[in-house]
Amino acid sequence: MIRVCDLMHKGVLYCYPDDSAQVVADMMATNRIRSVAVVDESGEVWGSISMLDLLQLYGKELDKTQAQEIMRPYRIEVDPQWPIEKTIELMKKRRIEHVLIIDPHAGPKRPVGILTDFDIVRYMSHVELGVYEQMLKVPSD
Amino acid sequence: MGHFPRCHVEERVMRLMKRGAITVGEEATVREVAQVMVVNRIGYCVVVNEKHEVVGIISPRSILRAFGVDLDGTKAKDILLPYTITITPSSPLSEAVALMVEKRVDHLVVIADRPGSRAVYGILHGEDLVRAMARNQETKA
Repeated sequence: MIRVCDLMHKGVLYCYPDDSAQVVADMMATNRIRSVAVVDESGEVWGSISMLDLLQLYGKELDKTQAQEIMRPYRIEVDPQWPIEKTIELMKKRRIEHVLIIDPHAGPKRPVGILTDFDIVRYMSHVELGVYEQMLKVPSD
Repeated sequence: MGHFPRCHVEERVMRLMKRGAITVGEEATVREVAQVMVVNRIGYCVVVNEKHEVVGIISPRSILRAFGVDLDGTKAKDILLPYTITITPSSPLSEAVALMVEKRVDHLVVIADRPGSRAVYGILHGEDLVRAMARNQETKA
């Protein structure tokens, strides 16, 4: 059985609630990611900001907006040991493109990873990354 | 030498769009579409008909919704988001962003300015918009 921890990205990129939207935009642009978690000083998750949440500020002053103003409150807790099917059904039902993974052993509401819709597509495609790259490589001799 | 008054020029889609797009035919299976996305590391796939006209777009979320059905028996045309949003290279970027946020899509298909044309001209990525937002703020500062 495939579990969430087999497919998720370990570690989460995060910002603090009073960080400016500029910080969030820089993080997304530099790391080429589509979502950033918002956590407080103790590491507990408050919410998450997706690319579309940030795009609402297009043409506006990013410095004058705080992360907590554009974030979506985080209410869904996914355990790393959940079967992947259960998580996919949850994502389908809630119409969300990513879920933060909360490990109860690491502490309450501490995100340990993220699972995106693209990770699910990779799982469904049955393509192992690296296999195709090796197939496409032209032999040197 | 005289100074020209600074005037505000509205930015157009053509400044940030990428020419060309990854496409699949209407008859491709969902698994094939997922494989195209994973191998090319892209978060979209444009579906075209035999005349290479845009029929719709498939996002990772569309594939996620197809979880549980026969991926090798379901066609791209059964899960695509019908292409009803018209964006051209000369459309203002602010209009494109408003469309993305309203329809909750990360990519927009750009079609040529010619009347009646439905040929794929390019793609406007949300990632490129975020990168431009981060860059614009840096230049202002």
